[in-house]
Amino acid sequence: MPTVAVAGYDVQVEARPGEPILAALCRRGYGYRFGCRRGGCGTCKVELVSGRVEYFVTVSADVLPESEHRAGICLSCRAVPVTDIEIRLADDDRLHCVAPLLLRGRENRRTNPQ
Amino acid sequence: MSVMRLGYVHARVTDMTEALAHYHNTLGMQLVAEQPGKAYLKAWDEYDHHSLVLEEGGVGLVKLGYKVEHADDIERYEKRAQQFGVLTERMSKGENLAISDGLRMVLPSEHVLELYYEAEQTGTATGTLNPEAWPRDLIGVGVPRIDHCLVTVEDPDTVERFFGEVLDFRPAERLVTDMSDDGELIGSWMFCTNTPHDIAFIKGGNGKLHHFAYQMGDWSEILRAGDLFSMDDVSVDVGPTRHGITRGQTIYFFDPSGNRNEVFAGGYQTYPDFPTITWTADQLAKGIFYIGRELNERFTSVVT
Repeated sequence: MPTVAVAGYDVQVEARPGEPILAALCRRGYGYRFGCRRGGCGTCKVELVSGRVEYFVTVSADVLPESEHRAGICLSCRAVPVTDIEIRLADDDRLHCVAPLLLRGRENRRTNPQ
Repeated sequence: MSVMRLGYVHARVTDMTEALAHYHNTLGMQLVAEQPGKAYLKAWDEYDHHSLVLEEGGVGLVKLGYKVEHADDIERYEKRAQQFGVLTERMSKGENLAISDGLRMVLPSEHVLELYYEAEQTGTATGTLNPEAWPRDLIGVGVPRIDHCLVTVEDPDTVERFFGEVLDFRPAERLVTDMSDDGELIGSWMFCTNTPHDIAFIKGGNGKLHHFAYQMGDWSEILRAGDLFSMDDVSVDVGPTRHGITRGQTIYFFDPSGNRNEVFAGGYQTYPDFPTITWTADQLAKGIFYIGRELNERFTSVVT
């Protein structure tokens, strides 16, 4: 499964097939700024530093204009990693851990490779 | 005589199939007509032809339609709107499926608002002769009717003046920065019926939709709607909780394109002599979410 890393943080999570970036990070206990989670508001835009993403649902050009798309901005509630990727959050945003329980689970699983 | 109610909302959706899964399967609106790229829906307790039109492509609001009582109301509102200085044009019968001719206006906030006096009446699901309390074949939430809409505007003063002077709406509640002489208006909840609001606006970008809402019977129906949102993986914004402003009970949630919807119940009644309630910005969190008293960033930042 492709992994999602966040620039500036020691974080790497796996994304399930078809799972968008935001959903993958939230599932593992992380949070950052997001809005509608349905591609309508653009609040969760991040920079794609490396790797490739695809959109399996229609995304409005009003929300993610082609110019932004070309500049490497992606709509993280809709963008699905198809390779290992690294993203960078907006300058005024930060990654926080909202569910430490899930993080401990991740560490446990590290010692028990799937 | 006057504006009677919010009659229709036209909204853009990125994917019609997904949108219909939400508005029909989850919310339980009935699909009453389809045109290329458009779907017309109504809720079970509404008697006019439709109350929601979905247009495929993009997100956000296309326009709002408010129904007036008589054909000659159109001319009166047209004169007043022109005196106010907003752009108006006449629309002809059939421009909107099953809707009469009327008046189209572009508000100072760039929102498009239409007035019409007649719609094809197709009846409620329970009819008008010895009706049952509710239809047994409701799908999902089974929303009874569309209730109100909240939009964002750059200049709340002017928009409030427009709805008051041109359309005879009254403010039930106003949100101001503070009570000093320099206090500025940052939100207004206005009514033309006897509910707390038929339109509301808060300061923000012009032309944007904050949400449109369905009126539910009571608090337990709000909770049941929330259960269905979990079953159907609907993105929930806030709730169930209560608003301080309007006193209504609520869940905010998003359709599959990111347009915010609300299920709303309760709230007080208003009359032409209703004394306007004032909220100050320092109490905004309590005004919006009365129980949690905490605004999330999304409330003001997420619009379509």
